[in-house]
Amino acid sequence: MLDTSFAAAALPDHGALALLLRQNSPHGPLFEAADQRCGGALSRAMAPASFTGKKGQSCVVLGAAEAHPRIVLIGLGPDPAPRVFEEAGASAALALAREETATLIPGGTAADAAHAALGAQLRTYRFDRYRTKEPADDKPRLTTLTILADDPGAARSAHAPLAAARDGVFLARDLASEPPNVLYPAELADRCRALEQLGATVEILDEAALTEAGFGAILAVAQGSARGARVVVMHWKGAEGAPVALIGKGVTFDTGGISIKPAPNMEDMKWDMAGAAAVIGTMHTLAARKARVNAVGIVGLVENMPSGTAMRPGDVIRSLSGQTIEVQNTDAEGRLVLADLLWYAQDRFAPRVSIDLATLTGAIIVALGHHHAGLFSNNDDLATQLLAAGIASGEELWRMPLGEAYDKLIRSDIADMKNIGGRPGGSIIGAQFVQRFVRGPWAHLDIAGMAWATKDSALVPKGATAFGVRLLDQLIAAQFES
Amino acid sequence: MRVRFSRSSTAPVRVVPVTRGAAIPRPERARVAGFTAAPGTAALLVGRKRRLLLVALDEPEATGALAIARLPHDAHVAIDARLLSPATAASLAAGAMLRGWRFDRLRTRPDPDGTRLERLDVLTPDPDAARAAWDQLRPGVEGALFARDLVAEPSNVLTPQGLVARLARLEREGVQVEVLNAPQLAGEGFGALLAVGGASVHPPCLAILRWPGAANADPAVMVGKGVTFDTGGISIKPGAGMWDMRADMAGAAACVGAMLALAIRRSPVPAVAVLPLAENAIGALSYRPGDVLRTYDGTTVEVVDTDAEGRLILADAIGWSVRNLRPRALVDLATLTGAIVTSLGHDRAGLFGSDDSLRDALIAAGMAVQEPLWPMPLAPSEDLQSDIADLLQCTSGARQPDALLAATFLRHFVADVPWAHLDIAGVEQRERGPWYDADRHALGATGFGVRLLDRWLAGLA
Repeated sequence: MLDTSFAAAALPDHGALALLLRQNSPHGPLFEAADQRCGGALSRAMAPASFTGKKGQSCVVLGAAEAHPRIVLIGLGPDPAPRVFEEAGASAALALAREETATLIPGGTAADAAHAALGAQLRTYRFDRYRTKEPADDKPRLTTLTILADDPGAARSAHAPLAAARDGVFLARDLASEPPNVLYPAELADRCRALEQLGATVEILDEAALTEAGFGAILAVAQGSARGARVVVMHWKGAEGAPVALIGKGVTFDTGGISIKPAPNMEDMKWDMAGAAAVIGTMHTLAARKARVNAVGIVGLVENMPSGTAMRPGDVIRSLSGQTIEVQNTDAEGRLVLADLLWYAQDRFAPRVSIDLATLTGAIIVALGHHHAGLFSNNDDLATQLLAAGIASGEELWRMPLGEAYDKLIRSDIADMKNIGGRPGGSIIGAQFVQRFVRGPWAHLDIAGMAWATKDSALVPKGATAFGVRLLDQLIAAQFES
Repeated sequence: MRVRFSRSSTAPVRVVPVTRGAAIPRPERARVAGFTAAPGTAALLVGRKRRLLLVALDEPEATGALAIARLPHDAHVAIDARLLSPATAASLAAGAMLRGWRFDRLRTRPDPDGTRLERLDVLTPDPDAARAAWDQLRPGVEGALFARDLVAEPSNVLTPQGLVARLARLEREGVQVEVLNAPQLAGEGFGALLAVGGASVHPPCLAILRWPGAANADPAVMVGKGVTFDTGGISIKPGAGMWDMRADMAGAAACVGAMLALAIRRSPVPAVAVLPLAENAIGALSYRPGDVLRTYDGTTVEVVDTDAEGRLILADAIGWSVRNLRPRALVDLATLTGAIVTSLGHDRAGLFGSDDSLRDALIAAGMAVQEPLWPMPLAPSEDLQSDIADLLQCTSGARQPDALLAATFLRHFVADVPWAHLDIAGVEQRERGPWYDADRHALGATGFGVRLLDRWLAGLA
């Protein structure tokens, strides 16, 4: 991970520089000093590069001063929000990645500097655990980015909660990136134990405990696999009162089971536990920043495999709630996992709200693409709060409908319900199924289109996104902290 | 369609809506029939002179529909609304007429499943008041039924020219109809509409329907996709279900129905419907994936899939409308994408647009007439970047968010006009199956959009 350190606002005597510049305002004394050291090269470079300080613009000046072989100017626009500093910090870090020493000059408040640092770190995340032969030239050389601030102490304080979010994001990205032979239910459960060091309690229910308690839906999904199911309950009690329950689908690999998926892109199904990863990452963040909230994170970890012991299309299973489910498609397994988890969370914790995250349906990708996750809720206040948190965190949601017209599609001829209802409205029907296990205010986030990025974006390199961690952290900070 | 409000009727069957908890007529026989006025129930009592259908009174349109659903073979029905308000009487009639629709024009012998409801007598103590209430509903109902007939009509009959011929009905009501034929379209630069319709022996055209209204104001503009048959073109569709593509002009039909409604009720609101009409056929003159077209407004578009033709003809029609009509608002309706069906199913249409107040007004109008909409997002324009033209028509590959990309494509052509796009694929017809509620709705074409637009336009007065 790229380290960041905050230092007093004085131009360093050597090393690469990145300066974040506002549009239509003076560029400040540090820019003037740097420009002077380059003999005015920075000012002269702007016009030919059409650099005006507009948000997203950048201009690289090479060799203008011996002490500063590479100087990068990055536009912030006229009135930058914290997120703009994150994005600018991110592009600065990318531009400086091959340097040994580099300094970022954000030119804003202490909070702006902290956000720039966060952006630099989020964007330069790498999952390289399994690379054994990467040439040194391909690796980033920059290990520490120095960030200048008028009050470095204040910037450091502002950065602390952001660093907690960053750690949660990185944890979630790591987990989603891990291959499925390494990260199976028991292993993923073990990794949750790390939260104990932050003061959270972690409880792991193994197969025997799940059988004893009657998690019939989760066990049915797991029964085709050689790897047993686990349910992990993470509890961060930073406040009294009814908790916020965060529920995550954690299918460590989803073959589809007997209703097996087509081979192309099946490798993507290693991140069918991204909902669980987001919940684990969020719990990590809450504990790391000592959030004043009572929160439980519950993840259901299973591997969905076809085998002689696998559940079949046509099987009827009994969920923890006692409701029976006719399984018509074993690849609609995520909703089975959520069914037991939600019921368990409500039974045991009587939460003030329950929010589940799941890579649940392909239909949500068709509906919303890769710009929004689907939000389904039985509570308008909670939905509004989530939508606002999405905008504030940059992890945006779009509300989708629920209703009787969809619910009737999961009526079964022989059980309380069936687990599929056809392609039309597929993500709504999935949510409708989950809702049958809900008592109390609830929201369901279908993150299938958001959990994995196939191309780089401002703050997220290609790969696991950890979508949900910053969103939930933001939601809790804004709505549920005392 | 004949709906009469009077104090008596000669109909052989009489429907009596019963409020739950109120006295049930013929209590003894009703008890034997098991009728308790529980919601959604009805019981038919056969008497010596006529039949009596007791039906639980619920939301009045639903009650009217339920009554007719239980009387499929009756072309002449009376509803006894003597204990009900004039407004309820009118809504019962609307529900009954909408449920009683059937497309039987092409049958040469009676449909064993039932007959179309031709005559409805509504018994009411105050026929004048009920008629006044009905006058508010009738235009929308007539417009919807007219649109359904268009949608149901097969594509060998309803070609672009066949559809234009049907517009005579609107001219009789005072709607001005202008048609730009293919040579005129060529002269004006409708590159997309001509490409889509180019392979058919039935040439494309643009129908422009004007209702002058009374106010001296910019018109509300409706644009409707009118693909009279959609083979998919070179990107040909699979055979299964292709027959359904005769309904791919349901957007245009909805606009026609709404214009008819406006004219029937002599609306003061100036409105224009612009209908790009084409058959997306396959032949030597078909346009190809990879072609670059020039739309009416001069935008170049790279074609990716000839089966994404709706957005192309809408682009031309919207571009023409924006340049020539000064729309106060522009609403387009189209059976545009399969993706919207995957998104929302068959229960509601997708609503896209950039104008919040227009969006809210349309949602409210849809709620009022039970044609529900659900707002959906647009994508950034970068998602439709072409390597060689201004704009990509769509993207290729599995699981594309095609409904929102189609809407994003259309946004390019609306300039700064307040605009909304209704993707009505999936709600333009009802088929038997788990989504279908036979008690509530007629099978087949729905006329979705007509009553919604009529209600929205009424709010602009």
